[in-house]
Amino acid sequence: MKKILSALTLAVVFTLATANPAQAEEKMLGTVTKIDLAGASATATLKDTKSGTLVDLLVDDTVTLDKFKDKRIGVGDEIKAKYEKKDGKNHSTFFKKAGGC
Amino acid sequence: MRILPRTLALVVALAAAPALAAEHPGNDVIREKGYQGPQTCEECHPGTAKAFLGTVHWKHASRVTNVDNLDPRQEYGMKNRIYTFCNGNDVVNDLKEIPQNALGKTKLTGCNSCHPGNHLAGVGSSGAEAEAAIDCLVCHSAKYDYSKRKPYKTPDGKVAIGQDRSVEAALAVGKPTVKACMTCHETAGGGTLIKRGFAFDAEHDAHAAKGMTCADCHKAKDHKIPTGFDPNNWANDGVRVACADCHGAKPHKDADYDAHTAKIACQTCHIPTSGGAVAKDFTKWSKDAATGFWEPSTIKREPAGTKPVYAWFNGTVRNEPHLIGPKGSRSDPKSKITPFKIYEGRAYYDRRTGKLLSMDFAQPTASGDTLAGVASAAKTLGLEKVDPVPGWQTIYFANSHLVTKQKALSCDRCHTANGQLDFEALGYSKGEIARRKLKSAELWFDRLHEKEQKKEEF
Repeated sequence: MKKILSALTLAVVFTLATANPAQAEEKMLGTVTKIDLAGASATATLKDTKSGTLVDLLVDDTVTLDKFKDKRIGVGDEIKAKYEKKDGKNHSTFFKKAGGC
Repeated sequence: MRILPRTLALVVALAAAPALAAEHPGNDVIREKGYQGPQTCEECHPGTAKAFLGTVHWKHASRVTNVDNLDPRQEYGMKNRIYTFCNGNDVVNDLKEIPQNALGKTKLTGCNSCHPGNHLAGVGSSGAEAEAAIDCLVCHSAKYDYSKRKPYKTPDGKVAIGQDRSVEAALAVGKPTVKACMTCHETAGGGTLIKRGFAFDAEHDAHAAKGMTCADCHKAKDHKIPTGFDPNNWANDGVRVACADCHGAKPHKDADYDAHTAKIACQTCHIPTSGGAVAKDFTKWSKDAATGFWEPSTIKREPAGTKPVYAWFNGTVRNEPHLIGPKGSRSDPKSKITPFKIYEGRAYYDRRTGKLLSMDFAQPTASGDTLAGVASAAKTLGLEKVDPVPGWQTIYFANSHLVTKQKALSCDRCHTANGQLDFEALGYSKGEIARRKLKSAELWFDRLHEKEQKKEEF
């Protein structure tokens, strides 16, 4: 019985250690300090409202890029963003002005 | 061999033709004298600014003749309507600086942020100052810099809206693009695709997929924009648009389909989806933990994320405190079965009069205190005493975009058990449904099968 338990424990530990965990989506509220447009993507730098740290987000959805181009979103705008860390970059999955009514 | 360069030159010339044609004839004047707002436009378009002040885009209101329980001498629209989709309006929720929220933050916001003026000459204003305040380029320039169109406080403490009056923007004037229209119309009602919930893009709309713009159907004359009949949308410039204006009364290559057009609105088959907000609660706002601001609690769906409801509609509207919806019946020759987005909104009613109350959003945006918003709106409207109690209102919105040809309803979608249309609710008796085989494949199987076989023929 001990052998079976040990084998099971080992299997669980191995699975957890080698599994590729799903990338957690991170959220932030920040103010745009810089937008660098580069072809089919852009890097938007947001200053985190809480911590004050600068976060670079890679944006490649056409709707948001269009808003960068005609400055519907620009420096000084407060943004609610979600992103995933992938290949050392923060890939934006949600990028909208924190507007409302 | 000599033909090739000529052909190439011709191809280049033809490709460039639209761009050349798009050059605004007044650009030389703009290059020479710069752009000073409407007074520059008026050099070639005299009287246009004054005429524009009489349109719905400036007044946010008009006389309304097709809606019950309205005063025919008054004008109605976003300026002053009280209903449960917006609950505020330009009058009670005028653009202003709102009180600080719990995080010490404030902002400049209000219903009339989209008004094409500078706010100092506001909704429905008139005279020389109003004419000079018109933001012609926000609709007409393809290179408008939206970062300039933001509310700000003037040195004397008033709230104004900036405009892009650069020469660069003025040199890019033309017919309004889809983006120019959608910048305001897509974000109405508290956020992107909230109010009408349609995305006018190639993925969602057959007209957009063909490269058409809003103004191709809503073809304005003297800035009067034709609109369709909509239980929810009252203000109009007195001109209307309908599918048949372009497509005619017999738009199909199939007589059976054409036989439907007398009693079925085009939208019924060609817009089988809906989207946007389906319900809101203005009595309980939700706090955004990140910004500290509050928002009306809203349940929304993606474009094409829901199915419409169907009712007979003759273009006139029931307008009651708890229902804004279509009028019409099967026996009315002007009525057609029409799809609607159904919406439920909760807001405060005055217990004593039963009338719906409106809300200033400044207080609830800052603190979530909705009753303070009702009290502020009542004060603005000169109501001495109100006794607010929550209640629901159902609103039918016209379902007029998200047009599809490929995914239009075919026979099998409606004429079947539990099909898209509820024939009994629409006034058809069980006997008639059985006699006419309205819910049976026997009605359509052979014809549809023959069609589908033809599609697969080589």
